[in-house]
Amino acid sequence: MSLKEKELLKNSPPCSSNSLSNYLWEDHPDEEKWADCVHCGMCLESCPTYLETGQEQHSPRGRVHLIKSVAEGKLEVNEQFMDPVFQCLDCRACTTACPADVDVGGLIEEARGQVRQAMPLKGVKRVVSSFFLKGIFPHQSRLQAAGGLLKFYQKSGLQKAVRSTGVLRMMPNHLVEMESIMPEIHRSTHQRYKNVDVIPAKGTPKAQVAMLKGCIMDVMFSDINQSTINVLIHNGNDVVLPKNQTCCGALHIHAGDRETGKKLAKQNIEAFQDAQKVVVNAAGCGCALKEYPELFRHDPEWKARAEAFSKKVEDISKYLYDTGYEKPQSAINKRITYHDACHLAHGQGVRHEPRQLLKDIPGVDYVEQPNADTCCGSAGIYNITNPEMASAVLERKMENIPNDVEMISMGNPGCMLQMAIGVQKYGRGGKIVHTVQLLDWAYQADAKKGVKAGVISEKEERENRS
Amino acid sequence: MLLARKKKEKIDPDILALSKIVGAKSILHHKEDLLSYDCDGFTIHKAMPKAVIFPKNTEEVAAAVKYCADHTIPFLARGAGTGLSGGAIPLNNEVIISLVKIKNLLSVDYENRKAVVQPGFVNLKLTNSISHKGYYYAPDPSSQYVCTIGGNVAENAGGAHCLKYGVTTNHILGLEVVLPDGEVIEISPNGVLDTPGYDVLGILTGSEGTLGIVTKIIVRILKNPESKKTVLAYFNRVEDGSQAVSDIISAGIIPAALEMMDQTAIEGVEAGAFPVGHPPDIEALLLIEVDGVAEGIAEQIEQILSVCENHHVRDVKVARDEEERGRWWANRKTGFGAMGAISPDYLVQDGVIPRSKLPEVLEEIRAINKKYNLRIANIFHAGDGNLHPLILFDSRIEGETEKALLAGTACLKACADAGGSITGEHGVGIEKKEEMRFIFSDDELEAQTAIRDVFNPDNLLNQGKLFPTPSKCMDIKKVVKPI
Repeated sequence: MSLKEKELLKNSPPCSSNSLSNYLWEDHPDEEKWADCVHCGMCLESCPTYLETGQEQHSPRGRVHLIKSVAEGKLEVNEQFMDPVFQCLDCRACTTACPADVDVGGLIEEARGQVRQAMPLKGVKRVVSSFFLKGIFPHQSRLQAAGGLLKFYQKSGLQKAVRSTGVLRMMPNHLVEMESIMPEIHRSTHQRYKNVDVIPAKGTPKAQVAMLKGCIMDVMFSDINQSTINVLIHNGNDVVLPKNQTCCGALHIHAGDRETGKKLAKQNIEAFQDAQKVVVNAAGCGCALKEYPELFRHDPEWKARAEAFSKKVEDISKYLYDTGYEKPQSAINKRITYHDACHLAHGQGVRHEPRQLLKDIPGVDYVEQPNADTCCGSAGIYNITNPEMASAVLERKMENIPNDVEMISMGNPGCMLQMAIGVQKYGRGGKIVHTVQLLDWAYQADAKKGVKAGVISEKEERENRS
Repeated sequence: MLLARKKKEKIDPDILALSKIVGAKSILHHKEDLLSYDCDGFTIHKAMPKAVIFPKNTEEVAAAVKYCADHTIPFLARGAGTGLSGGAIPLNNEVIISLVKIKNLLSVDYENRKAVVQPGFVNLKLTNSISHKGYYYAPDPSSQYVCTIGGNVAENAGGAHCLKYGVTTNHILGLEVVLPDGEVIEISPNGVLDTPGYDVLGILTGSEGTLGIVTKIIVRILKNPESKKTVLAYFNRVEDGSQAVSDIISAGIIPAALEMMDQTAIEGVEAGAFPVGHPPDIEALLLIEVDGVAEGIAEQIEQILSVCENHHVRDVKVARDEEERGRWWANRKTGFGAMGAISPDYLVQDGVIPRSKLPEVLEEIRAINKKYNLRIANIFHAGDGNLHPLILFDSRIEGETEKALLAGTACLKACADAGGSITGEHGVGIEKKEEMRFIFSDDELEAQTAIRDVFNPDNLLNQGKLFPTPSKCMDIKKVVKPI
């Protein structure tokens, strides 16, 4: 949107219902959402930033109060408003705690949209943010190139050189921590399946599913994408990777760039047009896809399309649980705990399914961690934008990880990176894995032993469902 | 938090002095930061504080209080801000002393069944911290997931299980208090029960933050009951439900909890985040819990079931397991907040009546409902006659807030006239101070303010709460314009 257009918008009636409002742009926070909040405070203890600061402007009800105050003309969209709105991890724990189901996450994202239009990022922040959010994530080829660079960095000896020369000492601490846990880069599924239309199921196919590759997932964690495909085909699913799919837009929406978010959403809705089911292995992406209709509140045509699309979206663990999966026979003899990714537990209500999946692997000694569903501080790119708070939240998370676990399983790449930092920083044991990887490894062990894939007995399927 | 946001910003000398006491990071004083503190769980009145400070220990509280006292600055204490009568609303531009950073469990003495906590410690966390040893803390206000024990002491909080186990005051063994002049005193510091002399603990508990600021609390902890069973009963007619309540108690059973919800309340909780699947067309439901020695529980359950049958219960069931029991309680305990799902605002009242008057008072509340044309949901601790009529309204509609306040007053009048009281557990705060006249004469009120003057002679601490203001009692009900 050009500056002139923005000015024009400013002069039009700012809010349909309330002329006092200080929200000057379209798509402002939805009054119906905050009308549900009666300020009871039941959200307080669920909020990581409130627990850390003890300050109510950094609590869900405080933020809702501020968002409402702007609409009532008591507050302006300025730095002081921006701080609480952007300190929010967008972890949605408050949505779970709220007795009235107030959509705090939605309000925060809408408010961020207003902030970013009122106060566009400046200087280095603007360059870095638009480089990644607009320049890299939405473009598959550039992502692949970045992945290639990282791979080169790791394989060429450059990483070794950087680590030994002390160049890292010149970087901020949180970036050094990130560099140190960078996973090994593998060939992306995008490259591997470039010329494949359908990856066929083993045995008789029972369904066809489309998979979201994700942007970062396919570069940093392509082995998890591969595991997801393996597990899906193992259980009788033909898998397609629609060509024109793109980044889900979650990070853009979290950052207040709703326009790019909408563009990406439209592209994905079209790319997955023919799919019956869209399976996602990244909680943050899955949640964003399911919330596409929210982006098109004021656009009935796209809203309807988004609603039809979001109904097809399912997390991999829930999809497997609902449609049945073969219980592996080979054992993984490890003590394992599970961390609820916020956007899986609070965002999608998926808690039981991944745990059941873990428990179905022979040999797994499952141990529940206290407060398994509190945020780890990753929160998209929050750990880059708000390193101090992210690190405090992470410290709390690590306190809850049982000392003797050998693996920490979860369903979101952002959490995996953050938890890896945590494990390293606090000198803790525990390999970070994606739930679906464990299942894949057990199947692979089965295959070595000659257990046939793709055959699920009716009995097993019934047990899976119950 | 930076003290000055802009280079040339002039900082109030009081703010500077207070920031020296608690540290620059532990004070809020810019308008945008203070806005979240303009009300608590009672949202009808709003007012801006001068500052909010977050002391880390008793010494800092005492120093801040002393500074305020010496400079005649009004001040008040705040915990989680979940109070329902406005006790933590800074009507006089107070300095708010937030106790949420003083939030540790200091010690647990299982042998002597007591624990020492700081005021910002969350109620439910105490039970969670001692449950592995088989102990719990009994007072369980519905906000126990978030509310602080310091706040519980101030309001003498009750809860669903107070029917059998008593309210907060029955569980307080000792206190450390900062008096309004900054002096720190300890009352019953060893937590020994019934020290001779006046019951100062009793006076402080439920004083709604008008006598001092509690900084350390010794509480009683209890051993978990050996067995626990929960019953859910649906009634077509509210009269049948009320009669069943009376009969259960008359049968000699003292349930741990005996809760009731009416049709509108059921609509709210079912629309909220923790629905159970209650039928929409019943007029009342009862949630009954009995606990104690395992033997005898079954017999009590039998008795309860038969009382319900006698009163035309439509459906009655015993919770199968802890999971089902948990769902029933989550549905009940989040009941107030769930009203947000069916109404933008609510005003919750807190009347007490003799149990036998339940059907009549409910009938009167229905009439009030009609008169003001506002929906009223009833969620209440039926066992001890503690009613919570929730008056549903929309503050965006001109005049509705005033109507809701009038309806609330009418509900309390009905309770007082039935021989009851205007508050069971939420406190008087700002909300019900005028209604104090329904149950106390001028002389009685004066006697009470005389006690306040002993502790708080300059009335700088939480001014304008708990008692009606003598001179302008008629203006008080006018809604304070939000700032």
